[in-house]
Amino acid sequence: MNTEQFVFRGNAREWFGIWIVNLLLSVVTLGIYSAWAKVRRKKYFYNNTYVAGRNFDYHATGLQILIGRAIVAVCFVAFSLLSAIPIVGILMGLALVFVFPWLMVRSLMFNARMSSWSNVRFNFTGRIGRAFLVYLLYPFLTVLSLGIAYPVLDRAVKRFTVGHHRLGTAELRMEAPLGPFYKAFFAAILWVLLVLGGALVVMGLGVEDLVLRLQSLEADPVPGAFAVLGVYVVFFAAFLPAMFIYKAMTRNAVFNATRLKGGHGFRSSVTAGRLMWIALSNMVVVVLTFGLMLPWAQIRMMRYLVAQTQLVPGGSLDDFVDLMQRESSALGDAYTDLEGVDLGLPI
Amino acid sequence: MNQPSPEIPDLELVGRAYPPMASRMEEVRVCAVRGQGTYVLTCVRVSDDVVLARAPFDAIEVDPPIGRTPRRLRFPDGTLFETEDHASVAILEGESAGGLLHRLEEFHPRLVGFVLIAFAAIWVVWRYGLDMLVAVALLLTPPVLTEQIDAGTLKTLDLTLAGPSALSGTDQAAAKQVFLDLLDAREPASASRSDLRLLFRDMPGVGPNAFALPGGTIILTDQFVRDFGDADILAGVLGHEIGHVVEQHGLKQVYRSLGLYILIAFMAGDTGPILEEILLEGNLLLSLAYSRKHETAADRYGIELADRAGYDPSGLRSFFEELQGSGPTPPRWMSTHPSGDRRIEAIDETIRSLR
Repeated sequence: MNTEQFVFRGNAREWFGIWIVNLLLSVVTLGIYSAWAKVRRKKYFYNNTYVAGRNFDYHATGLQILIGRAIVAVCFVAFSLLSAIPIVGILMGLALVFVFPWLMVRSLMFNARMSSWSNVRFNFTGRIGRAFLVYLLYPFLTVLSLGIAYPVLDRAVKRFTVGHHRLGTAELRMEAPLGPFYKAFFAAILWVLLVLGGALVVMGLGVEDLVLRLQSLEADPVPGAFAVLGVYVVFFAAFLPAMFIYKAMTRNAVFNATRLKGGHGFRSSVTAGRLMWIALSNMVVVVLTFGLMLPWAQIRMMRYLVAQTQLVPGGSLDDFVDLMQRESSALGDAYTDLEGVDLGLPI
Repeated sequence: MNQPSPEIPDLELVGRAYPPMASRMEEVRVCAVRGQGTYVLTCVRVSDDVVLARAPFDAIEVDPPIGRTPRRLRFPDGTLFETEDHASVAILEGESAGGLLHRLEEFHPRLVGFVLIAFAAIWVVWRYGLDMLVAVALLLTPPVLTEQIDAGTLKTLDLTLAGPSALSGTDQAAAKQVFLDLLDAREPASASRSDLRLLFRDMPGVGPNAFALPGGTIILTDQFVRDFGDADILAGVLGHEIGHVVEQHGLKQVYRSLGLYILIAFMAGDTGPILEEILLEGNLLLSLAYSRKHETAADRYGIELADRAGYDPSGLRSFFEELQGSGPTPPRWMSTHPSGDRRIEAIDETIRSLR
């Protein structure tokens, strides 16, 4: 069968108007409108993403999002204050550790059920028990292994999140082997080592000299400031591209190994170089325009990612069927919003 | 027929339809026939003219317009109809809030106005709105919470860094007297009822220090009383700490920080991870500036209170002069306290204004 290319039909002109009205109304209402703004944003991006002639949709209402956010905001403030009481703080920290996997699952579930493609809603069926393993145990093991086990953790997270999504009754599976994850991991580490090593050679500074400059910062600010700037730039140049290398390679591996019941598969052909270039140039432009070019940057990134993604249908796309679902609360969703966890459709 | 009926045509929209709860996409046309003051929509499959759904317009859920994405109409039985015919749907809908919002979002010179208003609004919220939110949060904070914070923190200190004071009875009494004088100067005849209280602790690891907890507990280390036991210095420093409590600096810091974090996280969430990190780091730096503002305000409060209680306000100045000699300080932008020189300058100014 032919591969179907994912297509993004949105443009920056259109999105800018929506974005600026979102921002204005959110600020003027001290953040209350931000719930409706989120819905509008997701609807714009989902409705403009097509594959095989059909687009995605987002169904949450502003009110649902607002209630979730209000509850999370109050709990967050209460939690922070109560943590100032030392004994209570420790207990609450422990409690949060156990509540966290539950919140992740609720968030994934809400996000999935509020998203649809071709009139069929997604769903998420991951269980909390498995979430514990993935979000608590594996990270713990990763720390114990001093980070070497990170690709194992990452693959487990992707398998859990992708593998428990459904489109209606059709299950998604992600069975990528560990190999590509380690390949991506070592490629990223290699980059970091090359840049750090190169920087030490090029800058011709010993680490001692650097420390001296930093210590005498107030007395002699100019060489100190350069030292600080230099450190930032080097870390920037080392770790940021490494992250993109890892993300690009793993995204490809994940998509290529994802199967949707009915014999359908996916392809992704993102390259680290292009991804990094788009992300960095986006950031520079956005900063130089005080944020006004942000809508343009978002569209540009979305266009690239969508253009590198294809569906390989294994049969008819008319056979997906939805299930009646219970209403779910937006509590988990608001929590991941606050923590900055991005759980959108993996486009 | 006593009402002139305007020529409102029947409408025909082309598009795609999906059966309820299924992904099958079919080419359809929807005929909107006007009658009895409302439109009745009939959805007909193009290939074989079979009627898929029919309903009056009021029973149909219409998604509000957004950009140029296809309009979606959902029939009561669940059939979803999708069309690019924005004009016809607009006629069917008439005026709506969604339509108004959609028109405001159009690419138009007035967007420049929106940008300016947005920047202005951000500045106003930053300057005043945040303080309003913090004030509301402070009002809503139950006093039992601050009491518990004090109790818990004190207990932890006593378990870890602090031991019972080794000061002589006379030293403690002298310091307490200064404290009572200050409380008296603040609110005459209510010193005994105040929730402000002074405690002494031996904290060798910390050195000479004084700090205030949000519920009104002020702690002096033994080392402080030994090194800086002069009554005028004590008056200035204790006044400074009382200032922190009275103006609720501790809680304000926390609420402001949390408030900014929440606003940024919820509103700037889609700026992308890099920018969000930058904004949050910026939040951190700004909260340090806020803290420096508080330190300066506490200095001023302390001096004025010490002066009112009959002590020499330049006591605080001598304290900082002695501190200046004792080692390097971090650069100003990294620091929670204003630098020594600036602090002394500000103190001098306050003292001058008292004269």
